[in-house]
Amino acid sequence: MNLSFAGFPFLSAIMLTCIGGLVAILLVSREQKDLIRWVSAVSSGLSLLLSIYLFVAYDRNLGGLQFVEKIPWLKPLGISYFNGADGFNLPLLLLTGIVHFTGVLSMWELEERVKEFFALYFVLVTGVFGFFMSMDLFFLFVWYDVSLFPMYPLIVIWGSTRREYGAMKLFLYLLAGSALILPAIIYLVVHSGGGGFDLLKLMQPGTFTPFQQKFAFIFLYLGFGILAGVWPFHTWSPSGHVAAPTSVSMLHAGVLMKLGAFGVMRIAIFLCPAGWQYWAQTMAVLATIGIIYGVLVGLTQKDLKFVVAYSSVSHMGVVGLGLSTVTAEGLSGSLFQMFAHGIMTALLFSSVGYFHDRTETKLIPDLGGMSRIMPVASGYFIVGALAGMGVPGFANFWAELTVFLSSLRVYPVRGVAAISALVISALFMLRVVQKTFYGARNERFARLPDVSLGLGVPRMILVAVLLLFGFFPFLMLDLIQTSVLPFMEGLAK
Amino acid sequence: MSWMVIAPELYFLGMAAVFFTLAMIPETDSRRGYITALALAMGGVLVSLVSLKLHGSFSHVYRVDLFSQVFKVLLAVGFFLILCICSELNGIRQENHPEFYLLLSLCTLAMMMLVSSVELLTIYVALELTSYSLYILVALRRGEDLSLEAGIKYFLIGASASAVMLFGMASLYGVTGETYLPALLKELPSHTASPMAIIGLTLTLSGFFFKLALFPFHLWAPPVYQAAANQVTAYIATTTKVAAIALLLRFATLGAETLYMVHVLAALAIASMTLGNLVALIQKDLKRLLAYSTVAHAGYIIIGILCMSESGFAAVIFYAVAYLMMNFLCFLVVEKVAQEGRNVQVPELAGLHRRSPLLALSIMVGVFSLGGIPPTIGFTGKFLIFTAAIEKGYFYLVLVAMINVVVSLYYYALVVKAAYFLKPENGGALIRLPVQLKAVIWAVLAVVIVGGIYPHFIYSVAEAAAGLLR
Repeated sequence: MNLSFAGFPFLSAIMLTCIGGLVAILLVSREQKDLIRWVSAVSSGLSLLLSIYLFVAYDRNLGGLQFVEKIPWLKPLGISYFNGADGFNLPLLLLTGIVHFTGVLSMWELEERVKEFFALYFVLVTGVFGFFMSMDLFFLFVWYDVSLFPMYPLIVIWGSTRREYGAMKLFLYLLAGSALILPAIIYLVVHSGGGGFDLLKLMQPGTFTPFQQKFAFIFLYLGFGILAGVWPFHTWSPSGHVAAPTSVSMLHAGVLMKLGAFGVMRIAIFLCPAGWQYWAQTMAVLATIGIIYGVLVGLTQKDLKFVVAYSSVSHMGVVGLGLSTVTAEGLSGSLFQMFAHGIMTALLFSSVGYFHDRTETKLIPDLGGMSRIMPVASGYFIVGALAGMGVPGFANFWAELTVFLSSLRVYPVRGVAAISALVISALFMLRVVQKTFYGARNERFARLPDVSLGLGVPRMILVAVLLLFGFFPFLMLDLIQTSVLPFMEGLAK
Repeated sequence: MSWMVIAPELYFLGMAAVFFTLAMIPETDSRRGYITALALAMGGVLVSLVSLKLHGSFSHVYRVDLFSQVFKVLLAVGFFLILCICSELNGIRQENHPEFYLLLSLCTLAMMMLVSSVELLTIYVALELTSYSLYILVALRRGEDLSLEAGIKYFLIGASASAVMLFGMASLYGVTGETYLPALLKELPSHTASPMAIIGLTLTLSGFFFKLALFPFHLWAPPVYQAAANQVTAYIATTTKVAAIALLLRFATLGAETLYMVHVLAALAIASMTLGNLVALIQKDLKRLLAYSTVAHAGYIIIGILCMSESGFAAVIFYAVAYLMMNFLCFLVVEKVAQEGRNVQVPELAGLHRRSPLLALSIMVGVFSLGGIPPTIGFTGKFLIFTAAIEKGYFYLVLVAMINVVVSLYYYALVVKAAYFLKPENGGALIRLPVQLKAVIWAVLAVVIVGGIYPHFIYSVAEAAAGLLR
């Protein structure tokens, strides 16, 4: 892989906007809530602009790893501060930028302990950005954990439905995942024969024996799989997402679950390709069960947030299915799906959060006829739901199409089962939309105002992104292919 | 042989003499006594820092090298940190304050001698001096029968541990005819087949395991932690553990050649981690909880030691630094939240984020560091230990340890929840911290975070010190 070093450290600049935002928030007095909101909005806006710039400025003809920054960190152990951007992580950096910014805007009305909320939120985002851009195993792990631990206070303090239970479950599940990852990472590094923690050096073919790859792959796949919501380790996700406050649900379902899937890709698949091929069948089975299970359990839910959370489980199953095909199309499709699903879920959680703030309920039977009370706010949710069903015109359509085409070729039976499950889920989603937004309206909420233009901004951005990549999917797919194709070619050799 | 080589020891001896004089003057102003103590402690840190590069030895008894000097710095820092939280020493009767300082400085002096001792007899004498100071310190708590009981329990178990250790040392001498550690190191490998040598080594190590509160020698820890005055508990939990680690490192090299020893250590490490963490899950008293977490941490430390490799030893030295800092953060909160020097139950932390944001931050960083969450020094310490262990092929040990880490996060998270989330029952008054203490807390927090992100400096010192062990 060719490396192009950065003239200006754009990647570190993203980190700096997050850490700078964090420090600025800490310096502001807790009484000045508006100032804190503006500081958060400005610094997250800067991160978004930088991530858009990187997405656009990446040289697609050149390919490889660009904007590289590398500084030795702990020499005796071979750890370096090593960041780079390629077709794998740029979509996710962009996703993080978008969800981060819209998440801050979605929490504009928060009044309780604003300073602490945004401080923890920025720690979380710092970890996420760091994880996506890092090319050093040590830092990958550090950022991974940094992005996990703020979840606990965020949910316990600002959450809703069974928050203490949900927060603790999520926290322990995810850290149990990292308990599997750390030994595997150290195992690989120790057996690499002095490769240190440099991902590129460890990726060289022949660094690990097939046995070592198969062995380490189990731990890495399970560890990251827990975060990616792989069935049967997904149970933390619905309870955690439902308990979390709006922007944390957005970030968590939208971005953090991708952290897990990206970890499977960047660490497990990159370092242990033989293990990947060996375990692909099992991965496909788990992913298919996850898709079907998410749909079936989602069918019985009465809480809007649970509906969205279980649809996340099944959509993340699609990502897993794509990864398990061991084909270039599958890999590209699941990357695209990570991006599209991230935006779509963020939109759904953001809309549900809006209803919840107003009506103080998220139970479907209590709502009803909302489209006549808040037509615009309902519109956002319906758009999100349509995107989730895979209606053409939205980014999700292309992503799911790519994954399903490749999976049908590799695993016909599992592919068909997964597709039919998604068709059922589409029908079901329509029923949820019908019950919540049409039908008899609940008079209790009849006087509530519709979403104002200012508060609608985050949802507008998300809808626009879904449409943009829905109409011009090649913007994303071309970028992804610049990295996926060379990787798969390298694998075939 | 210049006397200056043992400057830190001489300084602490002088300090003890000052406290002894103070103790004899009736009706001293306790405020003045405290400020004297704090100033002297700060001087102790400076003296030990200055003598970091010294080296030399007294015949075959006492050795001053980077290894011992690093630990002396840690001990002096630990002593200073504990004195920082002694401003309201209301767990101990007013007239006993000078004795408290005297015993504390004597104990620190003894531990400094301990880390430099390379001869079985000096080790034994220094260890006993440490122990006797601690026995009295534990029993000093005001108006608590419990503390007297714990003091006696501590004394009885401690005395038996010393007897066992002495028996072990005698056996080692019987096999090899040596009491000088480097000579033992040379002699012992040729006697690995002899059960006497193995029994001797195991029994000797048992004495040190007692100090470290490793399973099954941990029984004294929870009652003593609970019953002793908060400052004394803090001292036992931080500074004495550092000395125990140093001693184990000096001795563990003896067992390097015997596979048997490694198996014993691995079994003890697993038992200690698992038992410590599982029992900690149900503790309500914060000091008891931390006592069981100490038992678990002893297990992690043993993993580093049983690697018997230089990187393992370096990792353990690094962990000693981490351990001192992160435990101090937790005990600081115990001391400040405690009313009238009593114990603290976990739910009493409720509303801490309002009462004192800095203390709430300290306990969050402290327990997350104990739980090994990056970017804290506790994570980096565990990471280094686990790396050393996997280098030696102990993958299963690391896996067990990581599962234990997850178990421990449950009770650590509950502490954080109490501090940040629970609403206090009766409002809860603000806790005012003096400016100097705030500065110290920020400094310790900085060490914990920076040591986690950029461990280069501490690690290189630890590596150099570990290199001297063979």
